[in-house]
Amino acid sequence: MSKKIASLRELDDLRKRGLKSLYPDKPRIMVGMATCGLATGGKKVFEILSKGIEKNGMDAKLIPTGCLGYCQKEPLVDVLRPGWPRIIYQQMDPEKAEKLLDNINQGNIWRENVLAKMEEDEFLIFDEKRKYPSGSEANLNNTPSYQQLPFYKKQLRIATRNCGFINPTNLAEYVARGGYYSLFKVLTQYEPEQVIEEVINSGLRGRGGAGFPTGRKWIYSRQAKGDIKYVICNADEGDPGAYMDRSILEGDPHSILEGMIIAAYAIGAREGYIYVRGEYPLAIERLKEAIHQAQDYGFLGNDILGGRFSFSINISRGAGAFVCGEETALIASIEGRQGEPRPRPPFPAQSGLWGKPSNINNVETWANIPVIIARGADWFSQIGTQRSKGTKVFSLVGKINNTGLVEVPMGITLREIIYDIGGGIPGGKKFKAVQTGGPSGGCVPSWLLNLPVDYEQLTKVGSIMGSGGMIVIDEDTCVVDLARYFLSFLQDESCGKCTSCREGIGWMLEILTRITHGKGEEGDIELLKQIAEVVKNASLCGLGKTAPNSVLTTFLYFRDEYEAHIKDKQCPARVCRDLITYIINEEKCTGCMRCAKECPQEAIVGERRKPHRIMQKKCIKCGICYETCKFDAIKVE
Amino acid sequence: MVKIVIDGKEVEVEEGLSVLELAEKIGVKIPTLCYHPAVSAYGACRVCIVEVIEKGLSKLTTSCTCPVESGIEVKTNSEKVKKTRKLIVEILLARCPDARIIQDLAKQVGVEKTRAPQKNENCILCGLCMRICREIIGVDAIGFANRGHKRKVTTPFEIQSDVCLGCGACAFVCPTGAIKIEDVEDKRKIDMWHTELAKVKCERCGRYFFPESAVEHVKRKSLQDIDGFLKLCPDCRKRVLANKLVCGW
Amino acid sequence: MKRVLLVNWEKCIGCRTCEMICSLLNEERCNPTEARITVIKFEEKGANFPVYCQNCEAPACEAICPAKAIYKDDITEAVLVDVRRCIGCRMCILACPIGGLSFHPARKEIIKCDLCKGDPACVKYCPEGALEVVSLDTIGVKRRRENIRKFSSYLDMMTGGKE
Repeated sequence: MSKKIASLRELDDLRKRGLKSLYPDKPRIMVGMATCGLATGGKKVFEILSKGIEKNGMDAKLIPTGCLGYCQKEPLVDVLRPGWPRIIYQQMDPEKAEKLLDNINQGNIWRENVLAKMEEDEFLIFDEKRKYPSGSEANLNNTPSYQQLPFYKKQLRIATRNCGFINPTNLAEYVARGGYYSLFKVLTQYEPEQVIEEVINSGLRGRGGAGFPTGRKWIYSRQAKGDIKYVICNADEGDPGAYMDRSILEGDPHSILEGMIIAAYAIGAREGYIYVRGEYPLAIERLKEAIHQAQDYGFLGNDILGGRFSFSINISRGAGAFVCGEETALIASIEGRQGEPRPRPPFPAQSGLWGKPSNINNVETWANIPVIIARGADWFSQIGTQRSKGTKVFSLVGKINNTGLVEVPMGITLREIIYDIGGGIPGGKKFKAVQTGGPSGGCVPSWLLNLPVDYEQLTKVGSIMGSGGMIVIDEDTCVVDLARYFLSFLQDESCGKCTSCREGIGWMLEILTRITHGKGEEGDIELLKQIAEVVKNASLCGLGKTAPNSVLTTFLYFRDEYEAHIKDKQCPARVCRDLITYIINEEKCTGCMRCAKECPQEAIVGERRKPHRIMQKKCIKCGICYETCKFDAIKVE
Repeated sequence: MVKIVIDGKEVEVEEGLSVLELAEKIGVKIPTLCYHPAVSAYGACRVCIVEVIEKGLSKLTTSCTCPVESGIEVKTNSEKVKKTRKLIVEILLARCPDARIIQDLAKQVGVEKTRAPQKNENCILCGLCMRICREIIGVDAIGFANRGHKRKVTTPFEIQSDVCLGCGACAFVCPTGAIKIEDVEDKRKIDMWHTELAKVKCERCGRYFFPESAVEHVKRKSLQDIDGFLKLCPDCRKRVLANKLVCGW
Repeated sequence: MKRVLLVNWEKCIGCRTCEMICSLLNEERCNPTEARITVIKFEEKGANFPVYCQNCEAPACEAICPAKAIYKDDITEAVLVDVRRCIGCRMCILACPIGGLSFHPARKEIIKCDLCKGDPACVKYCPEGALEVVSLDTIGVKRRRENIRKFSSYLDMMTGGKE
């Protein structure tokens, strides 16, 4: 019997099945099994729970779910039992999982390793809230609620609305939380032009980095002449430290499919591609499954939802090239050619994949579309700032207490993100800057922390929003070394087509490397600025044009650090090996000989109970002695 | 027809030209390295950059790939263009210090010495050889391998090509002369493509005159080969022609 | 009206003035190997035969040129090479059955007879009048066909078809 949905009633029936799955009449245990969960041991936790359920003959549902965003606390286990408060447990391991299962079996609430209780669940598409028992009888008053946790309090999860809440391989659960209702609305109530108008009025801008108004892009594609058009999803997330797209692809793949199908209807395309980087195997698997299911249920393929509109999606795998995130290089890659950008005009909207009009958007952009259609442009445009509407997912990583993915309304300040949500800097260290926008972006220093985050504000201070990477650095990070790292990344990833990028980045890198080795010369900064200007203005694509940003912004705000390296041959952050010395403080040294034993170069001499000494000629500045010493007797200068 | 302003002069021209083609037409000289009229524009060398002002915004772009559109203003030699081009030439000079064309270009733009790290390459990665082989000759024997600063032009797997005709067009168009063709007795060697090809022996004079694969290619595409002239070198074809007449005399 | 070169080989005495004047005017020096016309000598028989590009109606060189660098002049209809567009593949040289094109090794360009923009020098300087420039009126066409029929199997390609 065909599963294909062709009416609202059938969609509602599917929704009911999904709701039964989300709220079964038995315990439902969700384990975070996105890449963050898997990396911290989620698979073992899942296996132990699975074994335990079977062994005890328990009637319970064990569900893998996506990333809830609080990656620092993974593996997360979310337990929902009818009539009970819903509890999320943190940093689980097999041993703790067994304890949890015992408690569930005995009808108790396990009170250890609790992250939060979930008091209500928001279904964004329907503007509905579902409440759970508060647990006051169970004496959970002191347990923080999920919505009140500092990490989640200021977040507004639109693009990541389902991540961590559904089984990404269960289409009915996606529908239960509002999935494909927007598609249904569009196909039955909207003309293509109305869809585009809604997107324009929402103010949505491309979330991949360029921030181009999405609706306007759709108009260009719609207006382009031709019968064959393509809709493309750029899932080649390449910025080091950025994994927002990965989490949506793994945790809620249908949200992207739905967005793309709506766009295809709006611009007149019948075929689409999702270009996923090869380094995301789980995402590719989830997408493949989602596409199959969508086809089975009639959301993709011929005569979608019983109507006359047809659309199919193919997956194209990347093969390890950052430059293929650039839209024309991405198109070349799908076509089977070498991934190198080409000059524009013509723009992909006029002449893209195989010369046909193509609309390319980023994963996060697609994930926003169903919500915009469901709640309306007015609702969406009230979130955010005047020119940056909606929310943005940021990957908050680096020297931060709460590493993870946060989705916040535009306009929130950096201070709120780093201190309120992020929990500040670990180890009591001093905040130095936050690097935004990946290798194409820049550092925003501490005195600009009150900056409201949006496209224009970040550009004004010399950085960019980029895809949303936020790397926090502290006093122990050398900005010169950081700029050097980004340049070496870009040198490796440059396609090599144009002279200015290929050779210019290499030249800048050579100068920066000299500087970090203490061989900086007078005039180096001026020369770097000259080269930066040319690389920025003369390069063919975004990679080259934005490559000098890391150097330029660190100059702007940390010029003294550069000058310390060049003039004084010193590294204030004590990172650049050629500029630092490890010295034993004789007054504190107890002569325990621990460091001497650990030193890989046997560079430490000294007798028992007499102060030791480091032989500088042998020292390779690895820092092992510094970490070994229990008496704080080793200094880095 | 489209109207633009170039170097202060208003010009009207038919649609479909690039800024570089327009400049050529009206006698404005813009230096190029990776441009050739017979192949598609590529935009790799960045030497032909010009300043384009559209709707009040100025940007630098390569003239070979910039289409002439109504309402734009082009400056082919502004201070910004000169400064940028100078540094690009400095970069090229450091990469290929011995290439004559780069040395000439350096003199032209006023670059005396280069501050960039010295390399000793011959190839400027302009892609002309590859584009000619792909788009004009049509055999696609060579292409770019590796990415970024490791990029180079070579044959697949860097071994003897099984499609190279040995026509030598790549060496002909190479601006720096990086591709060397060696004709040794009965073979043509192109070391850069790891390729050695047998040449056809003229039936009449015995001279080895051109690679077999190229002659085969011509044979396949030619209109006619009634009297087997393809087995003769061009000089002998003249003699054979004359001979035909004289024999009857 | 198109004009072509005709040769009456019985008149050719093998003085090679045509070669010298051709190279002198085109290359500014007298070097027979740089001339667009070559005189083939048969000493034993006392016969001489100037060979040059026939400016065919359906040129094999134009057809094979992959860069589309060979074209016919608007006025003289001579077959010419756009040296700016030429990519030096030498296929034109290979395709010509009579060796009408060659490659100038120093200037690195294809060279061939271009009828000196309509007023060929070799015709003017040939002491015996062995070379003639002929307009392709009805008689001219006939004469050309008769001329070529005697030495070339490529009559149709050179003269454009049937009488």
